[in-house]
Amino acid sequence: MSLFDMMNISGSALTAERVRAEVTSANMANAETTHTEEGGPYVRKEVVFTTRNSSPFGTIFTGLGKFAQPAAGSVQLSQVVDDTTPSVMHYEPGSPDANAAGYVAYPAINPASEMVDLMGAVRAYQLNASAVTAAKQMIQQSIDILKTT
Amino acid sequence: MSTFSSVQMLQGYLKVLTDRQQMIASNMANIDTPGYHTKDLNFQAAMSRVINERETERDAIFEPASIETSSLPERPDGNNVSVDRESMLLAQTQLQFQLGVQLVKSQMHMVLSAIKDGN
Repeated sequence: MSLFDMMNISGSALTAERVRAEVTSANMANAETTHTEEGGPYVRKEVVFTTRNSSPFGTIFTGLGKFAQPAAGSVQLSQVVDDTTPSVMHYEPGSPDANAAGYVAYPAINPASEMVDLMGAVRAYQLNASAVTAAKQMIQQSIDILKTT
Repeated sequence: MSTFSSVQMLQGYLKVLTDRQQMIASNMANIDTPGYHTKDLNFQAAMSRVINERETERDAIFEPASIETSSLPERPDGNNVSVDRESMLLAQTQLQFQLGVQLVKSQMHMVLSAIKDGN
């Protein structure tokens, strides 16, 4: 049923935006991490969103009926990629992570831009949460048709 | 019977509104997807299809009545979803759905009143 499809679409966006907020939080938490298991400083992560059309089963199933499914796509987080910006060098000769010249590589993370990204994720989450509320009300109204007395 | 034909038409109206609401949800979900373009429902085409449903043959496969909106300004990442437009359409479609539901209820009430001898 389409109204439940609508909830699924908005739900996919809630998931994607939540993961985006998680990745942004990880970037902020590791803004000063100079030592990782792979060696070198922490590398900033970024998310990639893509549109996903409805499942092949759903497309074929609705194609059997009278109406072809309108082209509606949910969103999915297709991959988390590394930021290729070179790390920032600070002169700290006493640090255990310092290189031969006494420089320590810090991740190229700007807390202000991470904060803006986090706010964007939160706002997009709110927007889709209100769409879920709208879908819920519409389903409730449809159920209320049965209450005719 | 006229009551049932108008209920059927209202059913089509609710169906079109549901499809439109789904499209709005899809636009909202893809607000941060690079290169995504806002999709909208051709309301008139969808509605006339629902009304003329019985006259067309059963197995005909219809093209989706979706159109890409090109008039909206595009962001640098190729996405042109506007939050204001989608929020407004969400509220509008929700109220239209409520109207349709109330009309169905009143039709049903009329039938019930006829059954009960007008009491």
